[in-house]
Amino acid sequence: MVPVLELRKVNLSYEKKIFQDLNLKIYPGDKVVFIGSSGIGKTSLFKIILGFINDYQGEILFSGEKVSKQNIWKIRSQIAYIDQDVSFPEGKVTNFWEYVFSLKANQKIKPSLEERENIFTFLELPFSVLEKKSEEVSGGERQRLALAIALLLKRKIFLLDEATSSLDRKLKKKVVDYFLNQKSLTVLSISHDSEWLDTNKAKVFNLEQNKWQI
Amino acid sequence: MANITISYFNLAHSFLLLLIPIGLSLFFKLFLVKDVLYSVVRMSLQLILIGLFLKYLFKLNNTWINILWLAVMIVTAVFSAIKNSPLKWKKVFLPVFFSFFASVFIVVIYLNSFVLDLEKIFDARYLIVLGGMVLGNSMRGNIVGLSSVYEKIRDNQKRYFYLLSLGANVKEAIFPYVQSSVKLALKPTLAAMATMGIVSLPGMMTGTILGGASPELAVKYQIMIMLGILSSTTMSVVLSIVLTFPFCFDSGGLLKRDIFKEE
Repeated sequence: MVPVLELRKVNLSYEKKIFQDLNLKIYPGDKVVFIGSSGIGKTSLFKIILGFINDYQGEILFSGEKVSKQNIWKIRSQIAYIDQDVSFPEGKVTNFWEYVFSLKANQKIKPSLEERENIFTFLELPFSVLEKKSEEVSGGERQRLALAIALLLKRKIFLLDEATSSLDRKLKKKVVDYFLNQKSLTVLSISHDSEWLDTNKAKVFNLEQNKWQI
Repeated sequence: MANITISYFNLAHSFLLLLIPIGLSLFFKLFLVKDVLYSVVRMSLQLILIGLFLKYLFKLNNTWINILWLAVMIVTAVFSAIKNSPLKWKKVFLPVFFSFFASVFIVVIYLNSFVLDLEKIFDARYLIVLGGMVLGNSMRGNIVGLSSVYEKIRDNQKRYFYLLSLGANVKEAIFPYVQSSVKLALKPTLAAMATMGIVSLPGMMTGTILGGASPELAVKYQIMIMLGILSSTTMSVVLSIVLTFPFCFDSGGLLKRDIFKEE
């Protein structure tokens, strides 16, 4: 089977070395949790995969194809990404919602009202949040909105950077379980939460030691 | 109404007013004397020279020379706009120049031909004076608009990356930034228009009235020029952003680092 994502001897350094000779193979359907102390490059790794950082050495392959500036757009369109402190543009949330689903790349997947309702109910998110201004939305609501958008975009690969950190315990467990149990989804998550780690469904990669944790 | 002329001797009296800022600066140790004198000398010399220059320009009133002089004014305005933005002039001069040139010319030529009904559309008096007013305001709008759009993307990269990850192409990803930056750039002009006449008598009106015209005519000129300023500012800010962005992003959609001046 071809890995959906493969890193070959990837090096990244700024003032200090971020990571060195990082080798990693991730197969379709894998659930991987990345751990390591802060500053070790967990977020940078996600940014490299998405083409937001490109001054690294080494090779990255996506479904066997070498990642370049030309095919990065196609790759991004298959990945749902949630940043650790996700924020939306100024204005009403509903405008942003409309904007996301009117993008050329997403026009075909505009969710039905029913789909939207199901996701909002699942994430315990009231519809009224759409009428708020983006700067009035709380951290927990922002995460749930971002998760709702990510799920409705129906992409196959998820890069979740502390994407469940502000959810309460019960909801966090529900969301994490959802991601871990979807066989068709490839999920890469940065987290130190037990919901992600204390399970036999996810493999754990320690970036500090540059190896899989058993 | 009589047109009162000011002799150079009389004008010298106005320099006595400088005693107030200089006196206050000395008394309160504001250390502004040098700055005040520097600015006053520069202003006086520049205006006297430009006065002489315009006198000849108006007398000559040659279409091509008029256009050439307006082009010189535009180049200066473009440099000044870019100098006050975080961008390097080498990277964005051409697109900004084109956007200024197009918006100033379209607006001034429109006013000259359809509002003022001039026989000679490129008449020095109108082309250069109206062009200058429209240009100065467009420049201010561009400093705000260009700075805002690129600084916001640079300083809040996370949010920009998020839009890219959602599937936006560069055009779509910068769209929210363009919206808010154009709004920001137009705010001062819109606010000035909304209070005009009550808070301040605008410069052009003051000049026209002091020059001997009736307030009624002065008002007509003022309304015309404000509408011109509003449309050329909007047009130039939008064009500047739209035309600079192909130079400022790489093919992967990332903002190029080398478009910014070194901090």
